[in-house]
Amino acid sequence: MTLLLQRYGTLGAFLLLVAGFSIAVPQAFASTANLLNLLQQVTVLAIVATAATFVMVVGEFDLSVGFVASLAAVLAFVLFGAGAPVWLAILAGLAAGAAAGLANGLLVARLGVPSFVATLAVGTIVSGFAYWASGGSSLFSGVPPSFTALGRASVYGVPALTLWMIAVLGLAALLLARSRFGRRLHAIGDNAAAARLVGLPVARDRTLAFVLAGLVAALAGLLLAARLGSVQHTMGEALLLPAYAAVFIGTTASPRGIPNIPGTFLGVAIAGVIANGLTIIGVEPFVQRMVTGAIIIAAVLIRRAGRTA
Amino acid sequence: MRNHLLGAAVVATLLGATAAEAAGERVSVLTPYLSAVTTAEMAEAFKAEAAKHDWSVDVVDTGGDMGALASRVEDVTAAKVAAIVLISIDPAQIQDQVSKAKAAGIPVVTIDGAKNDAVAVNVTSDNYVLGATMTKFLFEQIGNKGKIVRLFHSAHPGVRQREIALDDALKANPDVTEVGGHYVQVPGQIEDARAAVDAILLANPAPDAINAVWAAWDEPAIGADLALKAAGRTGVVVAGIDGNPQAIELIKACSSIVGTVRQGFGQMATIAADELAKILSGGTPEKNELYAPVEVITRESLGVTCP
Repeated sequence: MTLLLQRYGTLGAFLLLVAGFSIAVPQAFASTANLLNLLQQVTVLAIVATAATFVMVVGEFDLSVGFVASLAAVLAFVLFGAGAPVWLAILAGLAAGAAAGLANGLLVARLGVPSFVATLAVGTIVSGFAYWASGGSSLFSGVPPSFTALGRASVYGVPALTLWMIAVLGLAALLLARSRFGRRLHAIGDNAAAARLVGLPVARDRTLAFVLAGLVAALAGLLLAARLGSVQHTMGEALLLPAYAAVFIGTTASPRGIPNIPGTFLGVAIAGVIANGLTIIGVEPFVQRMVTGAIIIAAVLIRRAGRTA
Repeated sequence: MRNHLLGAAVVATLLGATAAEAAGERVSVLTPYLSAVTTAEMAEAFKAEAAKHDWSVDVVDTGGDMGALASRVEDVTAAKVAAIVLISIDPAQIQDQVSKAKAAGIPVVTIDGAKNDAVAVNVTSDNYVLGATMTKFLFEQIGNKGKIVRLFHSAHPGVRQREIALDDALKANPDVTEVGGHYVQVPGQIEDARAAVDAILLANPAPDAINAVWAAWDEPAIGADLALKAAGRTGVVVAGIDGNPQAIELIKACSSIVGTVRQGFGQMATIAADELAKILSGGTPEKNELYAPVEVITRESLGVTCP
């Protein structure tokens, strides 16, 4: 029982939430249309949380992921305004994300700047660029339909956003769990000094983890922009704390308590179901926040109860 | 055991909330800016009007997060509410979700928003007129000559119109120049504006370096007033827009805030509720955009004499 609670407590809490909402509002919550809604709603957060997971695996934090998401989206829309084709706008957004990630990686892995400080600084610079590029305004005109289709279309009834999420999280999970690179990242996160002693390229791999995080965060920003059809230079910032909350919840779903992609997805799904279900029920916003916080604490406590019992 | 307790708590919360929802037609009010006093005022005024119509109202605030706002609009659409009311948001920023709500047969009404094909009616003030009225008043306070600081937030469609009015007034008054500006962060607008003005004052230490602060709405004006007080700077006048009760108290108290332009937020909510009632009973709105009246509030209009 203890082992079950330890391994599946977080999953149990998620299933309990789904069951609770399905009983309370069966027609609205437990409908196919709402399931498709939910899958679309969690996509951007799931991808940003994946970016955060990459750097948490190597024992670091990246506080710039939300800012990077904003910059990629703003850059794409500014380029649309200048008549650029969709592929170029997307490439520019992704390149900006990778560049920000590289800056983070070099500062942390080569120059030894603590990741909290380095990524906050880079994030602040990035937010300045996004602000400058957008002029502080919301941008929503001249967006090619082929771009918004990335976030709004569906393939055989499955939302395109869901396919993006499956692709990104699937690749990230494979990379972290099955590849040599992923195993090296875990080794660095477990004990960087030991990894260095056995000859692993610690600085290079840490830098690459940040580059991947920047790239993935930029993709999340572009998909959010495609979903909304509008951008604001602050649009990604709200994703930072929920992303890390999801990664932390995700660690409770791992036997060793380490960041992992399936766990991160579970954390995102819990946050998504709570927000979706409580809104459908019509719970006031202050109650929503209290319930969300309480459920996150409960998920972690269940996990701890499993460990200590 | 803890699992059971958690389960019981979740189910009790859900069932309790469902029971509370039972009365009347359900109208969902959504906004990313409930932390702004005036947005909260509109939401409260709408709730009061809704009670007269026996509607059940739930309010959703996403704390400045447009992505979350889009998701919550999808949620209430899935919940098949009778109507959606969006406050202080240009529906074009979440066009897909608003269009889907309309397609699902759910009327969408905006208060302090913008006209949109998917929206039945937008009830607002003419924000350009608000901006022009306040700017004219503020420029007169400094004799149509001097240096000003701009506190703005262009992401809000109404605020953007006020900024355009300021731009036009600056072109028409070349003796008034802009020495600094700050994009105010929301939420946390008062503290953010205060910090920005603190820094701008430090960068412009001469007594006549700044003559006025143009605040796109009252909360940044309040932040500017706090910064001016803390710096001991006198001779700088501040004006905002909205008729925020705290700003009016500060005008009465002879602070640096010398005026505000009151939007009829309560009236907007009343007009929106009346139009929505018409829509829900099968009618159509009078127009797709309706304006509530505005009023300039100054020391003079409040009967205050300052030293």
